[in-house]
Amino acid sequence: MKGKNLKRAFAIVISAAMVTGLAACGGGSGNSNNSSGSGSSSGSGSDQQTGSTGEFDWKAYEGTTIEIQMVQHTASEAMVTKLEEFEELTGIHVEYSITPESSYFDRVSTALASGSGSPDLFMSGAYQLWDYSSAGYVEDLNTYLDDASMISPDYDVADFVQSAINALKWSGVPGEAVGTGQQMGIPLAFEVYTMAYNTRAFAENGLEVPRTYDELLAVCDKLQKWNGENSYAVAVRGARDWGTIHPAYMSMYAAFGAKDFVLEGGKLVSAVNSPEAVEMTEFFVDMIKRGGSSSWAKYTWYDCGVDLGTGNAAIVMDADNNPVHQNWEGASEEAGNIAFAPLPVAKEGDPQISNYWTWSVAMNASSKNKGAAWYYIMYFTGKDFAKYATVEGNSLDPARTSIWESEEFQTLMKDQLGYIEAYEATIDNTTILFTPQPYFFETTTEWAATLQDIVAGKYSSAQEGMDQLKKKMDKAVEDIGGL
Amino acid sequence: MNQQKQKGMITILEPVGRNLGLTLFAMFALFPLIWMVICAFKSDAQMYNTVFRFTPTLENFQAVLVGSDYFRAFFQNLLVAGGAVIVTVIAGVPCAYALARYNFKKKEDVAFQILSFKFAPEIMVILPIFLIFQKIGIYDTYFGLIWVYQLITMPLLIWVVRGYFEDISVEVEQAAQLDGYTWYEVFFKTLIPLIKPGLVASALLAFIFAWNSFTFPLILSSSKVQTITITALRYIASDTVHYGQVAVASTIAVLPEVIVALFIQKHLVRGLSFGAVKG
Amino acid sequence: MIGKKKIKENEAVNYNEIPAHIRRRPYYIIAPGLIILIGIMIPFVTAIFLSFTNYSFRLPKWSFVGLRNWINMFTSKAFYHALSVTLRYGIFATAAEMLIGTGVALLLKKDTKYSRILKVLFTFPLMVAPAVAVLIWQLMTSNTVGVLEKFLNIFGIYNFPWAASHSTAMFTAIVIDAWVNTPFVILLVLAGIQSLPKSPFEAAAVDGASSWFTFKTLTFPMLKPFMYIALLFRLMAALQEFGIIYALTKGGPGDTLMNISLTGYINGFTYQKLASALPYLLVLWLLINKTAKFLVTRQRYLANQAAGK
Repeated sequence: MKGKNLKRAFAIVISAAMVTGLAACGGGSGNSNNSSGSGSSSGSGSDQQTGSTGEFDWKAYEGTTIEIQMVQHTASEAMVTKLEEFEELTGIHVEYSITPESSYFDRVSTALASGSGSPDLFMSGAYQLWDYSSAGYVEDLNTYLDDASMISPDYDVADFVQSAINALKWSGVPGEAVGTGQQMGIPLAFEVYTMAYNTRAFAENGLEVPRTYDELLAVCDKLQKWNGENSYAVAVRGARDWGTIHPAYMSMYAAFGAKDFVLEGGKLVSAVNSPEAVEMTEFFVDMIKRGGSSSWAKYTWYDCGVDLGTGNAAIVMDADNNPVHQNWEGASEEAGNIAFAPLPVAKEGDPQISNYWTWSVAMNASSKNKGAAWYYIMYFTGKDFAKYATVEGNSLDPARTSIWESEEFQTLMKDQLGYIEAYEATIDNTTILFTPQPYFFETTTEWAATLQDIVAGKYSSAQEGMDQLKKKMDKAVEDIGGL
Repeated sequence: MNQQKQKGMITILEPVGRNLGLTLFAMFALFPLIWMVICAFKSDAQMYNTVFRFTPTLENFQAVLVGSDYFRAFFQNLLVAGGAVIVTVIAGVPCAYALARYNFKKKEDVAFQILSFKFAPEIMVILPIFLIFQKIGIYDTYFGLIWVYQLITMPLLIWVVRGYFEDISVEVEQAAQLDGYTWYEVFFKTLIPLIKPGLVASALLAFIFAWNSFTFPLILSSSKVQTITITALRYIASDTVHYGQVAVASTIAVLPEVIVALFIQKHLVRGLSFGAVKG
Repeated sequence: MIGKKKIKENEAVNYNEIPAHIRRRPYYIIAPGLIILIGIMIPFVTAIFLSFTNYSFRLPKWSFVGLRNWINMFTSKAFYHALSVTLRYGIFATAAEMLIGTGVALLLKKDTKYSRILKVLFTFPLMVAPAVAVLIWQLMTSNTVGVLEKFLNIFGIYNFPWAASHSTAMFTAIVIDAWVNTPFVILLVLAGIQSLPKSPFEAAAVDGASSWFTFKTLTFPMLKPFMYIALLFRLMAALQEFGIIYALTKGGPGDTLMNISLTGYINGFTYQKLASALPYLLVLWLLINKTAKFLVTRQRYLANQAAGK
């Protein structure tokens, strides 16, 4: 008797497991939106799209629990310290996870794709949001920005740095530039691309800070090994991921007049093998060979910063908020010897073009706690938090104009020679230089891999490498468009 | 005479050669660990320009242990890895016994299938498992992770313990049964002690595999269950890279494994002999 | 043996005589283990199923595309390159670990105070998470701030590129893999050495056999089953190595370290093209399964031989 029952139970378990498994495949509806139970449950009083009660009330979503996925960043660290205050103010409990940047997007992509509504919120940059919003994972925050009852009285939307807010607005049409359309996220911090250099290196060698590409190459020759056998002239990123292309490389790429994609008859066609693109890539490769690190291909942003701080790199061309942290008093060996300048240009007087990156908070379209999630966004992109994060948490560059103009900020940046000037010289011509499209990860990762191959001499010429890259990029975006 | 002299020389050279070889390997194996511990005590400012002479500081320890939620991740990892090993032992030992003692059709195939789970590419199974976990609601739970970890903890344990059972002759069991013990008493009182080395050694390895797992927790857990490997890598960088903090996080993460290993070191080597201990 | 009855050879077993709860016992005992593992079998089936679709997280509906993903894979250069990297990495890493591991285990055979301490210490690298191990090695080998670099500078070697160059990346990855995993081999071979019967060796010593001879004819053959197990586990793990390579270079520089696991992960998770990544992983699984089957059968045979069965 016992045996029979056990066998039956066994069989039931197996069948149940199989059925569940097949159901998980979701006959035809891959992006399932109905999940039974997942991480974030909502307590009492969590409405979805409410807000029409007229008056704004911080405690409207009291008792809710929301979940946010964060990337390791000074802004996240600042957010974590203020979570308790947030909960006191709103009664909303926040569960968070912090992931190192190198694995962050893989984790978020998978979580969003499951459609379960978890996490309610996540940090992201603009590029990734093109990807996510094309797949329908991102909530349009205009819904809340346009609803007066959902905005706290001191939020002051106009105070945001315009380029930061605009960078996160997109219509969803591949090929159409950012600046209009859905608000995919609200910025926490942003960065522009400038040059940081070691004043000692230049003084000791009687050199001037390079203002043009030719001057830069000349400086590369002179400053290679300026501080010992392991030192070199210019540090730029080189790892096999999207992070290598978007800072200095893309800024200069656009300055040469090259584009990543062009629209031809409604279809996106890669333009990475155009004469301007190849010319720029040859210049970049030349710069690395003459003045770069011998292990350039493994460099990520903090490797560049560290090298500047230890006196191994004379110049870093990267985000402006990267080398800053080497320059606080006592932070590194070369602290105090670091200054900032805008990126070089083709010839003096040319516009200072730079790419743009912003870390923002975005909302999951499948979230079950959208109201509460919006309150989180409002609190942590508000003026008070922005000031705290910038002044006490070293989170740069602040996304609110009032912070830039504030006394505390000016005092904070007093020791960063040339930082604000370089920023102001650059910001006007700063925009997202990539063509918005949902396959960003693939196209830029392949770009980085191709760059590595070109530098290593795997191709007979930069032209050949970029031709190959064009083929890969075209294949990646082939199912877009054709309107 | 010459042969004797030769033999004499060899007798002297042999230990020298042996110790030299061992020392060379020891440098390779242990220096990085020593370096990691040293870095834990170095401040960021002195991280790169000093080698062995520096002023030790506890600021990294403070930043990691006091200033962050490190211990939360540590204990969660302990729960998950420890839980996984406990489940593996409870379910795996009987399984190994059955595979050793009972002959049924396709026995070797079943045994091999179980073993092959360890070799399954994690990347391949992780996606379907993710989808299923989401559906049945065990995403980001202890239960879910402990279950998934069985993939990497159970196979080795079953194989090692099975080897031990196979080597215990049936007469031992029968003798105990003749003495009037029930089958369960025989199992626990007689058999378990005999398989202890194997059980303990493979449990340690299982614990190490579970403790250090990276891809599973990355995709299958989010905010409720944090594991130590992902957490340790967080300290790399937000404003700049904090190798000292990573060193602290990793050193402390290694401690449980080291402590368990020291506890069971007697059984450790013998345990992996799959029961083939003879004369 | 079934229940309490001893079965004599040649005696037919009358299954009707054996009480049901004893006859079913094997299943009871295996049940918990199997239930746990069955739950994991589902993903395999799912993965195979999905590889015939165009399932991707970004498309709301998916549909069958037949063999398209498979054909694309078999006609792509990337697949064969990944296969080549997988095999090279797997074989070289395993070979290095087996050679070094066996050598060290033999050196540890002699029981001295030194060897006893080292036996425990040598297990420590295994306990470090691979991603962390990569970090430590990256820091040590950094051209600008690494302690290993400073050491090499003494010998006049400057700026060795380690993982940043196409020609030395595989070498670097294997060094780190060997650092983490050689202790596993050492443990297994050491276990084998310590389980060797003493009498043949005593006899050989009395007969005046040289160490090499003893090794060749006695030690090595008897160690073979253990070495097979070590070989099995290490080779299977090295063929599908993901963590170390991803942490080191994410597959770069260029495509140098893009083995099948990495190709599958990057295509599936980073680019979110899941269904097209699955054939890669299924091929990997097949490769590993067949190789493992072969090795296991050999090992069981050798083990039985050595035990004199």
